[in-house]
Amino acid sequence: MSVSFELPLRIAVVDDEPLARAVLCEFLAAEPNVEVVAECANGFEAVKAVSEKSPDLLLLDVQMPKLDGFEVLDLVGRDVAVVFTTAYDQYALRAFDVHAVDYLLKPVSAERLSEALARVRERLGRGERTASPGVMAAAPPREGHAHRVLVRDGPRVHVIPVEKIDYIQAQDDYVCFSSDGKDYLKEQTLAEVEASLDPKIFVRIHRSYVLNLARLARVDQDERENRIAVLTDGRRLPVSRAGYTRLNSLL
Amino acid sequence: MHPILARLDRLGGYLALWVAIGVVESSILTRQGLTWPEALVQVLPPLLVYSFVCLSAWYVCRATPLATSGVPRVLTASLVAAFVGAALWLALSEAWLATLESMPELAPITPRFRIQVPFLFVVSLMLFLLVLSVHYVVLAFEAFRTAERQQLELQVLTRDAELRALRAQVNPHFLYNSLNSISALTGSDAAAARRMCLLLAEFLRTTLRVSSEQRITMAEEMKLAERFLSIEQVRFGARLQVEQSIDEHALECQVPPLVLQPLLENAVGHGIAGLIDGGTIRLDIARRGDRVSITVENPRDPDAMPRKQGGVGLENVRKRLALVFGGAARLEATASPTGFRVAIDLPWAVDVCLL
Repeated sequence: MSVSFELPLRIAVVDDEPLARAVLCEFLAAEPNVEVVAECANGFEAVKAVSEKSPDLLLLDVQMPKLDGFEVLDLVGRDVAVVFTTAYDQYALRAFDVHAVDYLLKPVSAERLSEALARVRERLGRGERTASPGVMAAAPPREGHAHRVLVRDGPRVHVIPVEKIDYIQAQDDYVCFSSDGKDYLKEQTLAEVEASLDPKIFVRIHRSYVLNLARLARVDQDERENRIAVLTDGRRLPVSRAGYTRLNSLL
Repeated sequence: MHPILARLDRLGGYLALWVAIGVVESSILTRQGLTWPEALVQVLPPLLVYSFVCLSAWYVCRATPLATSGVPRVLTASLVAAFVGAALWLALSEAWLATLESMPELAPITPRFRIQVPFLFVVSLMLFLLVLSVHYVVLAFEAFRTAERQQLELQVLTRDAELRALRAQVNPHFLYNSLNSISALTGSDAAAARRMCLLLAEFLRTTLRVSSEQRITMAEEMKLAERFLSIEQVRFGARLQVEQSIDEHALECQVPPLVLQPLLENAVGHGIAGLIDGGTIRLDIARRGDRVSITVENPRDPDAMPRKQGGVGLENVRKRLALVFGGAARLEATASPTGFRVAIDLPWAVDVCLL
């Protein structure tokens, strides 16, 4: 081992089992230039730690209460490098699809952890942050359609069940989920959102709008012959010609 | 071996039939003016020798099995064999008559018998064909019996293999996670690491041992379950609480091995592990008359994915109960937004062969 300068790493350890965190912290204590800035017992704490402590790396368990490791990566993957730690090898392919830096199988060995840290340093040294929005979208969708949407709001995570979504609007690099009269912004494209939702319930009615069919009251026409979707709560959304065709095929 | 020659009783029956046929043939001859003794003496001896000739039909049947030979081939072979057989009968009869004629003091021979020879030739031909078809029927029957026996053997083997495979499903992730816990404890609490090693070794040893049994007592199954829960409590700490109420009288009941442990594994994996603050698993075992009930209840996260709890593990237990008890055991799983409950209802069985 060379004594060369090691890029300092600030690490958050995320695992719902205290002993699993303990063994990682023990190994990390023996690593040069490494600081454990947070220990988190679940996904919410992990997102909070990323916002408040801005670590360089998350050592992230996959199976955890409330938010699993992949959901945490979906929420914070643009801000932090992720190395998964799990007893399950069947997630490995998906982990690399979503650009996790490494994938450690439990029981974890100190040597394997060292290798993973070296990879993280190599990546950060090249100035690569982590998953860019584009590659995150390239990850194959999970089995079936999303049943909830996670939106990060600084240290907090909003969990929105899909049936509570009224509509989704594209706004520059973001999409805005409208639910219960509140708006939630997420860095994602409307096409990605549309692809993850059940096409029998959510319809692209316009270049910038995806609508929950359950919220549609009727379709009106304005004085310039433009079609307008009127929602059950009275809000009005534009409907494009193609959107109207799609809507008609579902109604 | 020939099915008739192989057994004396069958051979006796077969010969008796031929004697009867000889009597019938003789009675026909008596109508032509022969006396009964004349007719019997002339007909029976060659006919009985001919009955053994007819047994050769067995080899014809074996050489041209119905299943694989075409109809023309079977017909040709049968007819040719029948003609050869009947020709032999003719030769036998002629030789016998010649013998009788050379010994007129034994029995008076009348030439009237010879007039019936063409008729008797046809009868012999038909008899050969009859014996041949009987052989075909016997062969088919034997093939059917063999197939039936193989089918039964297969069922037994399949069930055996199925039981073996179903039992072998000790979750490897449970092992990996336990080993990870031990790895963590060695750094901080060597004594606890040692305790965990011993627990895990005991659990594995018991699992392997009971896996080769057809049935074990509920007490053994409970011991296994307790070890499993102790190991999981090391992993999950205070998040995993267990409340149990065990009826002493239920402990001597015989159950298939590993019916309870998979339920607890589900309760931990799909229930407790999904809750930030964990929860309590309730285990009830009770005897009511000649039935025993096992109930496992666990809380779960209402916001978790609406995937079905249990899956393979639960199906496995259900199948094994069905294999061992037939319809006499019931497994009921009920899910509510905040909990999951599995209830098994078994017949009380002590020292009763379950299989």
